[in-house]
Amino acid sequence: MEYKVEAHRIMSISLGKIYNSRVQRGGIKLHKNLLVSLVLRSARQVYLSEYYSGACLNAQNEREGNEWDITDSEREKFPPSATECDRVESTEEPQQSEQSEKGRDYRENDDEVKSDQADSTSTLQQEQNQNSSLDSVAKVSSETPPETSNEPKESPSDSAVAESDSTPEANGESHQPPKTQRKRSAEESESGDSPQKRTKVASSNAEESEEAEEMDTSNVSNLITIFGSSFSGLLSKDGAKPEAEDSGQICCDQMLKNLNPWSTAIVAF
Amino acid sequence: MMAGAGGGNDFQWCFSQVKGAVDEDVAEADIISTVEFNYSGELLATGDKGGRVVIFQREQESKNRLLSRGEYNVYSTFQSHEPEFDYLKSLEIEEKINKIRWLPQQNAAHFLLSANDKTIKLWKISERDKRADGYNLKDEDGRLRDPFRITTLRVPVLMPMDLMVEASPRRIFANAHTYHINSISVNSDYETYLSADDLRINLWHLEITDRSFNIVDIKPANMEELTEVITAAECHPHQCNVFVYSSSKGTIRLCDMRAAALCDRHSKFFEEPEDPSSRSFFSEIISSISDVKFSHSGRYMMTRDYLSVKVWDLNMENRPVETYQVHEYLRSKLCSLYENDCIFDKFECCWNGSDSAIMTGSYNNFFRMFDRNTRRDITLEASRENSKPRAILKPRKVCTGGKRKKDEISVDSLDFNKKILHTAWHPKENVIAVAATNNLYIFQDKMN
Repeated sequence: MEYKVEAHRIMSISLGKIYNSRVQRGGIKLHKNLLVSLVLRSARQVYLSEYYSGACLNAQNEREGNEWDITDSEREKFPPSATECDRVESTEEPQQSEQSEKGRDYRENDDEVKSDQADSTSTLQQEQNQNSSLDSVAKVSSETPPETSNEPKESPSDSAVAESDSTPEANGESHQPPKTQRKRSAEESESGDSPQKRTKVASSNAEESEEAEEMDTSNVSNLITIFGSSFSGLLSKDGAKPEAEDSGQICCDQMLKNLNPWSTAIVAF
Repeated sequence: MMAGAGGGNDFQWCFSQVKGAVDEDVAEADIISTVEFNYSGELLATGDKGGRVVIFQREQESKNRLLSRGEYNVYSTFQSHEPEFDYLKSLEIEEKINKIRWLPQQNAAHFLLSANDKTIKLWKISERDKRADGYNLKDEDGRLRDPFRITTLRVPVLMPMDLMVEASPRRIFANAHTYHINSISVNSDYETYLSADDLRINLWHLEITDRSFNIVDIKPANMEELTEVITAAECHPHQCNVFVYSSSKGTIRLCDMRAAALCDRHSKFFEEPEDPSSRSFFSEIISSISDVKFSHSGRYMMTRDYLSVKVWDLNMENRPVETYQVHEYLRSKLCSLYENDCIFDKFECCWNGSDSAIMTGSYNNFFRMFDRNTRRDITLEASRENSKPRAILKPRKVCTGGKRKKDEISVDSLDFNKKILHTAWHPKENVIAVAATNNLYIFQDKMN
């Protein structure tokens, strides 16, 4: 559990740094932002692996064999403990209620998540039957492609959504989100400072009704997934990536209407 | 050559001079960002965040002062770079001087290259100590005399005047770098030099400013695939066709310009396998190389990453020949150092003239020296408290755990705002220049 908290904290700090780098004098420092994004990705992997370790132990209670294949390196680094997983489970409960308050879009996304995943994650669902909330959270948090498959309706420019890597990986490392989505989402998805650890700019899924301050770990994970593995979002202000700016602009305009002032301030730059 | 704790034939480092304001309140513009001796060691240049260059010159050794070598006094000060604004990208370009490199002296004037994030300038520093007096055609104040009034012929005479040191920009090498310049290096042919930014390295001719050759380009076609950047580059001291560049992944590539016009394929690739037991969130950051320097001999090169300095034999690519821990006690503090951004600090390193010792900086105004022969190391501090003339510097020690001995300082008491990123070693003598924020300390060995 400590690892998850630590990973989460590092993710918040990293996002804060990336945000701050944009307002720093002298322009974006490519090197520093690259390093921060690497840390972000590592923290995300750990953070997400905690979900799967929780789900896995839950499944292990029911049946033998571990379908979850967290990579060995992750296991070595951060072996999940039974107590950790229990805590993970319990924290899912309040989040479930949070989620039920979410807007239509989000729930639709959820459904899409389930339907998209029907064939590829049937094993998953079998294992998690008894905990449907964890199920949906886990799927939404870890499987980027289904979620981002929602985004095209908000951003026509990013049409190439569900690429081949929409195959969810049972090992919990969704480290191949669609690249085109990252461009836009990365730009609009910035987080606040670490004091407001639970404050995140809403991802495109939840912007309709969700308060930015309302911490949803799955959204954070979405955010990180979209943002963490790729570097392109950081360069929108950099002359090296003018194409990202165009798509970003369109999406940002659409998002701006929906985001609350806090998010708007972050996105505005 | 290093300072020992005492005894025997070890020599000791003494305080010589300190330059800069004493104020507690340090203006950002005064923070020194680069330090460099020239080839003879007679001149010492510093650049700061305000875009200024200050050059110190060593006074001639006089017979009176037997106990110390000549002191460095201000020789010239000039504004090298100004803040600029890139209107196309809406980006401000900092005037901070990232690097200064001297050219070898070929006549009475001195030349140096100074670089900020985007532009490199060649400066000529020349002395003027005579002026012409008694012009035939001009008045005293310079106005042309009426030709009809001139009745006699007189030839101007050179009269001595107070020494004036002038700095003038002779070349401006601009618009060749999309990313931030991190290194410049003069080639041993004394005609060309290279400049490196995060993704590209360019080769310039010192006489030609409107063109440069791109010799390394690691920018991926799709920026999302970017995994590493160039962090430093240097020309080989003797082979004008060879240069190296280091990356944020802790690798060094040696390239031969004879092989191809674009040196994307390295001739040698230096990388030490990672120790899997020390993996953490920050492994990648601390393996990023912040500086690379060839030895004077050209046989070795030294790299600095966040926690260590490594010496590589150019003939062995799979691991360094020597590794020195600079401040291993920080390994358990990486998370805090990440939070306060210290983990991104770019420390430099330098060789002494004979390549027998290396030096690099740390926090709390500490700097470290390693003797390659005796394998001894020492930690010294640049502080105003130790600033009595010829005061011997006492070795410092950081207490890593357990009981703190007297005179030791605990890791938690270290001041991480006092960082020594830039140091320079005189090319021939045991004189070192250490930049501590806005102050420049000069230390020399004690002459017995």
